[in-house]
Amino acid sequence: MELDYLATVLLSSLSSASILLIATIGLAVVFGLMGVINLAHGEFLMIGAYAALTATQYGIPFVIAIPIAIAVTMTIGAVVEVLIIRRLYGRLFDTMLATWGLSIAFYQLAVLIFGTVTPGIGMPQFNLRIGNYSLAGYPLLMIAVAAVATVFVYVLMTRTVYGMKARAAIQMPEMARAIGIESARVNTLTFAIGCGLAGFAGAVLLPIVPATPSMGFAFVIKAFLTVVVAGPVTLTGSALTAVGLGGGASVTASFLTSVAGDAFFFLITAFLLWLYPLGITAKWRTKM
Amino acid sequence: MNLSEKLYQRAGLIFPILATGGALAAASFIDPYLAYVATSWVIFGLLGLSLDLVWGRGGLLSLGQTAFYGLGGYFGSIVAINMAPLTGNTLLWSLPAGAAFGATSAAALGAIIFLARMGPLQATILSYTFTLLLWSLTQSFTATVGQAVVGGDNGLSNIPGVVVGFGQGAEALGPVEVFVTVVIVSAATYFLCWWLMRGTFGRVIDCIRIDAQKAELLGYDIRKYQIANFSLAGAIAGLAGAMFAGWANYLNPSIFSVQEALLVPIYVLVGGLGTLAGAFVGAFAIGGLSFYLGGGAVGGQTTLILGIVLILLVLFLKNGLVGAMGELWRRTLPDPNAAARDAGAVSIDPEVLEGILVEAAQQAGPAKRLATVDLYKRFGGVIPVNKISRTFEPGRPYSLIGPNGAGKSSYLKACVGIYMPEAGSVTVGQTDATNAPIFERVHQGVGVKNQKPQIFGELTVVENLSIAAYARTGDKPAAAGISRQILAMLGFERQAKVQASALSHGQQQWLDIGMVLCLAPRVVLLDEPAAGMTNEETRELSALVRTLARHTTVIVVEHDMEFVRTLEGHVTVLHQGQVFAEGDIAALRADDRVLDIYLGRREHV
Repeated sequence: MELDYLATVLLSSLSSASILLIATIGLAVVFGLMGVINLAHGEFLMIGAYAALTATQYGIPFVIAIPIAIAVTMTIGAVVEVLIIRRLYGRLFDTMLATWGLSIAFYQLAVLIFGTVTPGIGMPQFNLRIGNYSLAGYPLLMIAVAAVATVFVYVLMTRTVYGMKARAAIQMPEMARAIGIESARVNTLTFAIGCGLAGFAGAVLLPIVPATPSMGFAFVIKAFLTVVVAGPVTLTGSALTAVGLGGGASVTASFLTSVAGDAFFFLITAFLLWLYPLGITAKWRTKM
Repeated sequence: MNLSEKLYQRAGLIFPILATGGALAAASFIDPYLAYVATSWVIFGLLGLSLDLVWGRGGLLSLGQTAFYGLGGYFGSIVAINMAPLTGNTLLWSLPAGAAFGATSAAALGAIIFLARMGPLQATILSYTFTLLLWSLTQSFTATVGQAVVGGDNGLSNIPGVVVGFGQGAEALGPVEVFVTVVIVSAATYFLCWWLMRGTFGRVIDCIRIDAQKAELLGYDIRKYQIANFSLAGAIAGLAGAMFAGWANYLNPSIFSVQEALLVPIYVLVGGLGTLAGAFVGAFAIGGLSFYLGGGAVGGQTTLILGIVLILLVLFLKNGLVGAMGELWRRTLPDPNAAARDAGAVSIDPEVLEGILVEAAQQAGPAKRLATVDLYKRFGGVIPVNKISRTFEPGRPYSLIGPNGAGKSSYLKACVGIYMPEAGSVTVGQTDATNAPIFERVHQGVGVKNQKPQIFGELTVVENLSIAAYARTGDKPAAAGISRQILAMLGFERQAKVQASALSHGQQQWLDIGMVLCLAPRVVLLDEPAAGMTNEETRELSALVRTLARHTTVIVVEHDMEFVRTLEGHVTVLHQGQVFAEGDIAALRADDRVLDIYLGRREHV
């Protein structure tokens, strides 16, 4: 096997893993900081993609369309938190069912508004040559985006006042309230940030994954598995799991078939859950 | 007991019988098109029933029921397509094949979930991804099995309709007859489930949902029960799928879709979680509503409406229609928990207790010793059990004392298997139990009462005791006899039919101790049994523990020093996960070092 081929495979696998991590990180934030699994996460991703798409159709440059998508999804996320999630704190499975209903409602709304087929946007054209092979540059850029997004979230949660309040509000809600943290407001913001990260993912991945109403379902399967395999230390755990599982699946897919890649993903997931029934980080002592 | 109460107790039997009779009677005059549509509601109700078994009773929210439904449908149809031409009757082939395939796939998924002891979130997500995975795989899956052609996106067509006659010339039934057939099959399935869930199997499933750890501490291998329940639900879903295929004559991958999966919890929630019959009520309510609204203004937005309905249900109607009606009805009945308030003082009759213990020793063998060698357990930087080597013999009670955080409860939990030790060994009698799961240690004779009373609050007092006794005897009359004895000894006769959750904290402690006694344990571990008891009750408890210690090995963790003194036993002081001092209570009371660690003085802190 040629060295340059191997390098190409590794780079493109790392890029697929990064794409998975970008799609997962918002889910991980909401789960880690609120104990809520948002089954509508994929639809927020879809909303972000459509927001960015619509913005570019009005002639707004793609780079500016991304923050617009974030703003739209954060707003919707905040409204959803106030109307639904807030009433279901501490009822994990009820929250899952309610966000599931939300996911299907959003999907159907998207079908009604945009139809099932939408035009994609062109991928920014720049390539990277390795030996005899040429790789599209934009997917590779996602490696950097994933790294930046992870570091951003990590800093946000550990180095800012908001982050400390958010972590306090989930670990000891009553104590947090007793020292004057308005945990309800903090939770609204956390959920909005999680949705905003989903919107960011939808927008930034738009050149790679075209916007369709059903894109959420396909994307979130792996995102959910990543988060539950990660377990309680959500951020670090999700990053590890996304790179390990997503990268492994992608390597498998490039040597065999894409079905084999998916099978790898699900089998390893089941195997990891067998070994770590509460997630790989269940016994870690760090909490971020 | 008046008529209303009797009716209430049997509601799960009487109303479904009336509904089945009503449906069969309606078949004589119903419009064929309505009969055709209503058939699908019955099938969806059956699918909902399968979820209610797993979720409402078993406590696991499975989003994979449509996967078993679809798999059962496909497999049952493939068998029926190939075999039915030989015999005529299609149900003979499709129903058993569908149920068997549904059960097998559920057993496989259930084995992964339950044998690994997966967390509830992991289990739910895994069941959901199982469905989504099938949805995406079946889009491109093509195969030809004999006469059956599975065409990926194009689906599986030419599925024979419902034929009950035999022979070559047997004709497919008309819509009304299909309705009658489906009602009969579904009703039979429902009554089977109702009977099963009313019996001991259902009780154990309920106990696992309420407190899985306690169920295992009684000696039940909960994983087997969970897998069995999950497989049963898979079989019912597969059966429903096979009937659906016969009704629709066609299947495609959309049976695995999210939209399809979403409907199942909606049926269950509309009807009422855990009610079994509610699933059918929910399916008829939702089906009837969309039939009434028709394909008109809202036809295209069904998915949207259902999504919103699910959100509203979760927010506002947790008990569902059947649950809400049951609640209204219950208010008109006399409060069965009223007796909890006029409970007398507990008074242990030593002779009765002695009799029970002698009988227990005859059945379960002599007392066993419990020994640990260098038992070691750590949580990160905290080492609550740091190489403790002790041997506990029958004869007189052992007390473990020590300040908060000394590792007393952790030591007991490591002995029982709630915590798996990192090093060292635990021996029960002559058997090494270091790596045995909890229920095996219980089978070897270990009986535990944890610090917080663990009782099954939704069950009555007598049910709590008999489920414990049944765990050991596996025999219903014997269990009933034992629980009656213990009930009488605890003075709970008048509270027998009271829900355990209505008891006071002290009474719950007694009930928990009673459940442990039902196990006829050879080694008894009691963690703070006197907490929440009155002085009088504490004296009774002391008498009980001393009697118990004459027949078995007894270890008590307690903070109440007066109680420890009355036990007149051997006392071990734990400190920072290690044995700090031991002897009798008088000597320890005089020991300055023990006072130091309790009061936080000087160098031993």
